[in-house]
Amino acid sequence: MSTALLARVKDEYGSVRDTLPPSVVATERRRSALEMLCAQGLPATREENWRYTNLRVLERVRFAPTLTPTGAKPELPAPLEGFSRYVFVDGVLCSSHSIAAEAGISVRSLRAGAAEVRLESPPIPALPETRLALLNEAFATDAAAIRVQSLAGMQRVELVFIASTAAEMGASYPRVQVTLEPGTRLALVERHLSTGDAANLVNCAVHVDLAEGSRLTHYRLQQTGLRTAWFDTLEATLAKDARYEILAVSTGGLTARSTVHVRLAGSGAEVALSAAALGDRLQSQDTFALTEHLAPRTRTEQTFRGIASARARVAFNGKVVVRETARGTDSRQSLRDLLAGPEAEIDVRPQLEIHTDEVRCAHGATAGMLDETMLFYLLSRGLSPEVAQRLLKWAFLEDVVSRIELPDLRRRIEVEIAGQMSEAASLKELLG
Amino acid sequence: MLKIENLHVTVEGKEILKGLTLEIPAGEVHAVMGPNGSGKSTLAHVLSGRPGYEVTGGSVTFQGRDLLSLAPEERAREGVFLGFQYPVEIPGVNNVYLLKAAVNAARKHRGLPEVDAFEFLTMVREKMRLMRMDESMLSRGVNEGFSGGEKKRNEILQMLVLEPRLAVLDETDSGLDIDALKVVAHGVNTLRAADRSLVLVTHYQRLLDYIIPDRVHVLVQGRIVRSGDKTLALELERRGYDWLTGEAA
Repeated sequence: MSTALLARVKDEYGSVRDTLPPSVVATERRRSALEMLCAQGLPATREENWRYTNLRVLERVRFAPTLTPTGAKPELPAPLEGFSRYVFVDGVLCSSHSIAAEAGISVRSLRAGAAEVRLESPPIPALPETRLALLNEAFATDAAAIRVQSLAGMQRVELVFIASTAAEMGASYPRVQVTLEPGTRLALVERHLSTGDAANLVNCAVHVDLAEGSRLTHYRLQQTGLRTAWFDTLEATLAKDARYEILAVSTGGLTARSTVHVRLAGSGAEVALSAAALGDRLQSQDTFALTEHLAPRTRTEQTFRGIASARARVAFNGKVVVRETARGTDSRQSLRDLLAGPEAEIDVRPQLEIHTDEVRCAHGATAGMLDETMLFYLLSRGLSPEVAQRLLKWAFLEDVVSRIELPDLRRRIEVEIAGQMSEAASLKELLG
Repeated sequence: MLKIENLHVTVEGKEILKGLTLEIPAGEVHAVMGPNGSGKSTLAHVLSGRPGYEVTGGSVTFQGRDLLSLAPEERAREGVFLGFQYPVEIPGVNNVYLLKAAVNAARKHRGLPEVDAFEFLTMVREKMRLMRMDESMLSRGVNEGFSGGEKKRNEILQMLVLEPRLAVLDETDSGLDIDALKVVAHGVNTLRAADRSLVLVTHYQRLLDYIIPDRVHVLVQGRIVRSGDKTLALELERRGYDWLTGEAA
C-alpha cells in the first residue's frame, strides 16, 4: 500500500512542483522533505504510535494542494475582541477577511513574501511520529510567520484556517511559524474549520520557538467537517524559563490526528498541554503528545479528557522523556477517557522514559463509562436520560474547557460542544 | 397519596422487602424506623426507581397511579423526591444549573413554560438563607467539596425548590451535628402541607424531636411489624428494636 501511495505522492508533487511558491518553502527543501518521507515511508497502523489513527483515508485523498481558492465568501465566526485576525482559505491567506495586527508584532504571509523572507524554522528532524510534517513541507502553498518583538504587554492573534466546500477531494497545508523573542507574550488562537462537508485533506505543520522567559498561550480548535481527514504536527522548542500553554479542543473531522512534540531545552521551561476530544459517529480522534525534558527543573503537565460515542475511536498517547541532563524535572499526566457508546473505542496511554534521578513524575490514566450513581442522581431530579448523559459528558470535558481564560472564546466552545452532543439523535441516519 | 401493598423487593438475588404494606395519606408525615439491614434504604430507593431493585410482587400506588411503571425521571416530574443518604458529587455540573433543569423538567411535564431566570434566582436565594447556605455554593459543582452536613442541606434545598408531593428522606439526619439537624428539620417543617406527604427514614428518634411525625412505623426484616403515633419512637429509643425483632419471624 505504502509504496504505491508514495509513488502517487511523488507524481502529484511532480505535477504541481513549478506552481509551489519558493518563498514559503524553498524548492530544494521541498524536494528533500519528499525524499525523507519516501525513505521513511508513510505512517502505518502497525507502528505503535500510529495504531489509533485512521490512515486508510490517505488512500482516498488527493495530495496536490488546491491552488486556486475560490472567491466564495467563507462563513466566519465573529472576530474575537482585541485579536488581529488572519484567514486562510485552503491554505492561502485571504487578506480581505483579515484584520491586521498592530505594532509590536509581525504577522506575514510567506506566499506574498519577497525573496529575502527566509524560513525561520530549521528543517524538520522527522521522528517517526512527526513525519507527516514532511508532506506539509513539500506541498505548502502559504505560511503564517508570526514574530513577537514588543515587550509591551500581551499580543493577540487569531488564525482561521478554512477548508472550503469548493475543494472536494482537495488538499490544504496550513503552515504556521511562531517566534517569541525573549520576554514577549502572545495569545494565539488557531482554528480549523470547514465550509460545508467536502471530503478533503488538511495537513498542518506548526513550528513554535520560544525564547528565554517568553510565554505563549495557544488555543487550538479543530472543528473541520465530518468528511475531512485532518492531520497535524506541532513542534515546539522552549528556551530557559519559557512557558507554553496549549489548550486543544478537537471535535471535527472524520479522522483527526494531532502530533505534539515539545522540547524543553532551557532550564525552568514549562509546558502545559490540556486537550479535549469528542468523537461521535465514525470519527477517530487521536493525539500523540511527546515532551522531551532536556534541561534541569523543567515541567510538563498533560491533561486529557476524551469521549467516544457511537462507533467513534478516541485515543491519547502521552509520552514524557526525561534525558540525563534534566535533573529536577516535574511531570504530571492526568489522562481520562470516557466510553459512551457500545461500539465506541477508547485508549489512553501514559508513557514515561526516565534517564536520570531526582525527578518527580506522576501520572493517572483512566478509561471508563459514565458513573451510574451520578446518572441516577440526575434522573431522580427529573432530568431525562438524554439530558443527564449529556450533562455528565459535559462535566467531564469541563476539566479542560474551563481552563480557557478568554470568556468569549470559552463560551463559544461550550456552545459548540453542547450543540455537537445534542446531534447524537441523528446518528442512526448517518450510520445507515 | 401513597399506598404500598404487599411489596416484595429483591436486590442481587436476595429478598429484602418481604410483603411490606404501608399507606401514607396526604398531609401526613410518617417515620419509618428500624435496625440496620431491615430494608429502610431499599424502600426509599425502590420508591425513586433506582436500577438494581427488582420488584417481585405487590404494588405501589401514588396519587392513584401505578408508581412502579414509571421511570425514575417520570416519578420525579410527578412529584416524588428522594433525599439521598449519600448525595453524590458531580463536579462540572453546577448547582444552580441542576436546580433549574429539575424545575423546568417538572414544569414542562405539567405543560407550564420555563421558569423566569430572575424570579427563580430570587426564590433559590431565599431558600438558601433558610437553609443557612452560602450563596457561593450555587455556582459550585453539585455537592463538590461539600462537607457531609452541607450535602444534606443541599438535598433539603433541592426539595424546597422542587416542592414535591411526596418526599422520601433517607437518613437525612445521619452525620449532622445538632445545629445542622435543627436547620434541616426547620427546612423540612416549612414544607409540611395538606397536599404533601413526607416519609422520614431514620435510625434514631433524635430527628423526630424536631420533625414531629403523625405516624411511626417499625420495619424489621422487610415488613412493617408495628405502627403507632410519635410515642412509639420514644419507646424504641428507650427499649431498642430487640423486643420487636421476634415479631417479624
